[in-house]
Amino acid sequence: MSLKLEHVVKRYKDFTAVNDLNFSIGKGEIFGLIGQNGAGKTTTFRMILDLQEPTSGAIHWEGKPINKVNRDILGYLPEERGIFPQMKVEEQLYFFGELRGMKRSEVKKEIDFWINRFDLEEKRNNKAETLSKGNQQKVQLIASFIHKPKFLILDEPFSGLDPVNRDLLKNAILLLKEQGTTILFSSHQMDNVEELCDHLCLLKRGVSLYSGSLLDLKRQYGKTKLTIRTNVPLGQLAKMAGVKTIKQEREDIILTLIDETYAKPIFDVVSNGHYIEKFSLDYLSLDEIFKDKVGGELE
Amino acid sequence: MSKLWILTKQVYKQKIRSKSFIFLSFMYVAIIAVVIYWNDIANLIFKDDPIDVALVNETDVDIKTIFTSNEELNFSFPKEPIENLHKQLEENELDAVVTISELNSQLKADIATYTPLQLNAQSTINSYVEYASKIYGIQSVNLSTSDAEKILNSQPVITMTNINEHVAGKSEGEKTSGLFASYFIGIVIYFFVTTFLSMITTDVASEKGSRALEMLLVSVKPGTHFQSKINGILLVAITQFAIIIAAIVALLGLKDISSNSDASSLGMVETLIGELSITYIIYVIAFIALTVILFLIIGALFGSLVSKVEEASQVLTPAMMILLVGFYVMISGVANPDTLLIKVFSYIPLTSGMVMPMRIGATDISPIEPILSIVILIATVVLGYIFSLSFYKRSVLTYSSGGIIQKIKTVFKVTTK
Repeated sequence: MSLKLEHVVKRYKDFTAVNDLNFSIGKGEIFGLIGQNGAGKTTTFRMILDLQEPTSGAIHWEGKPINKVNRDILGYLPEERGIFPQMKVEEQLYFFGELRGMKRSEVKKEIDFWINRFDLEEKRNNKAETLSKGNQQKVQLIASFIHKPKFLILDEPFSGLDPVNRDLLKNAILLLKEQGTTILFSSHQMDNVEELCDHLCLLKRGVSLYSGSLLDLKRQYGKTKLTIRTNVPLGQLAKMAGVKTIKQEREDIILTLIDETYAKPIFDVVSNGHYIEKFSLDYLSLDEIFKDKVGGELE
Repeated sequence: MSKLWILTKQVYKQKIRSKSFIFLSFMYVAIIAVVIYWNDIANLIFKDDPIDVALVNETDVDIKTIFTSNEELNFSFPKEPIENLHKQLEENELDAVVTISELNSQLKADIATYTPLQLNAQSTINSYVEYASKIYGIQSVNLSTSDAEKILNSQPVITMTNINEHVAGKSEGEKTSGLFASYFIGIVIYFFVTTFLSMITTDVASEKGSRALEMLLVSVKPGTHFQSKINGILLVAITQFAIIIAAIVALLGLKDISSNSDASSLGMVETLIGELSITYIIYVIAFIALTVILFLIIGALFGSLVSKVEEASQVLTPAMMILLVGFYVMISGVANPDTLLIKVFSYIPLTSGMVMPMRIGATDISPIEPILSIVILIATVVLGYIFSLSFYKRSVLTYSSGGIIQKIKTVFKVTTK
């Protein structure tokens, strides 16, 4: 395992921000830390980055205590966007690269590659403060991994990005993964987590509700989400055995079942031996599981 | 290259290139140029025609040799009746009519004007009259010319001997030079500290507020960041100081080259510095450096307390107030550098840098006093650095609202186990 958190607690005078947190991340894996605002994600990141000391527990990187690790193997993108507003884009990236122990020629190579990839060529010599919010975010993101860190923490990397830039970022994260970077990230956008993460940890008020594989989490809930397109009235479907909840979304009707065994009898009724346009039985989305776990609308 | 040096270089480069630094340096050079070339500028812009003064002499004193015309005053000695002269006053042909007469064996001068004279012209005429009065007094007691010259040119010879061998007294020249130099140093410290205290506080606050600090602190320890800010801003202060000194030397040199006068401005400054002892110069450099460093430490600490740059002025106010008090105490020392107030403030670390050089330069103090003051200042800098470093590590990533006390409370609350 690359990163391992064991019984990590962060307690302030009158409240506990993180309580007995345990998880581990394998080398080259993308791990999602998800939770509502105030769940303890940023505190956890700060403890991993040795910016805050845990009250108790241990954090290890490749078997070594995290505070004994060379800091240049780490990369971090904070939740709130921040770069030096008066510095030019290129100058800024040189600064962060050199600060991480890279030679200027090495930094140049990386800058050229990422600036081109993120379509910032024209902004290279512009002051950061003159860039749009999205471009500033891209510059900050490049600054966080310009030195090719072994371990990268991204706190809400997708917030504020338009769909095109979100895809650019997603691809960059996947490229870094391919290059062997271990990535830990948080996001409120569950579709991104679902798309990128191998494993995840679900936090609620500093307590881990689940830690492990995304697929295992989904299996815990089973294939209980049934989406159908039918003329059978909603009232009739709601009365059928095994239906927990039901709602109409445009042309589709979405049912939550007690378990997947109830799907077949519903199919028989709905299709009645004829062609049916849509009948899809799936795992719950991470968004739905998240809401259920942290006490959202499914409760 | 070490991380400390990379960060220091970044702070230095960023500040040196900033518009505010360039503007401020330009302002300093402009002010110095105006001060050095003031006479030339004043002559060029404000030069007035000399004032026309008519003198009516009703005594036997030869006033023509006393009232000699110069750039400001043009004396004439008309024989016309006084009424005519008064008419000329009304018609603006004359600015003043001075009638010299005798009253009870003393010289009497009546100065008549239509438009009141400016203070400067009034004082000059008065001094001429006073001199004429002395001549009149000498003549009235029938003294010989050589006796009269002796009286008028007599200068006392004053020598001072201090019988306490442990205290070396200063000459008046040394004390005057010390007073002027200390006044200049006090002003330099005040402006420097004001500028750079605010610069370091806003810089830390801006990095903290923009969250760029979090990215930096992943790579470097808070202590390194703290040190780099002090180093960087201190280098900026040294650069600005060098610019000021270079500007003074260059402008004085230029003035000497362009001037027809034999008196060298640069030579005058050299004489002034020559009057100061090497010990004084070493003390002054130490006091300036330590005071600036102490305020930079405070500035960085204050910057780490606020959550955004807009709050920087709020935390800066107390330090600015202390600085202002020290400055006014130093100013009061120009009139009398031996007061109790000056003595007390010359030991207080935040103000001693401005006040103690004045005592060293312009008074006869025991050698132990500046040593004691500098030891207190060094101890404060060291303790302040250690405390600030420890506090900075805790405050720099703590975000809170409210006043300074509330911010400090929050830091302790969230960082105490």
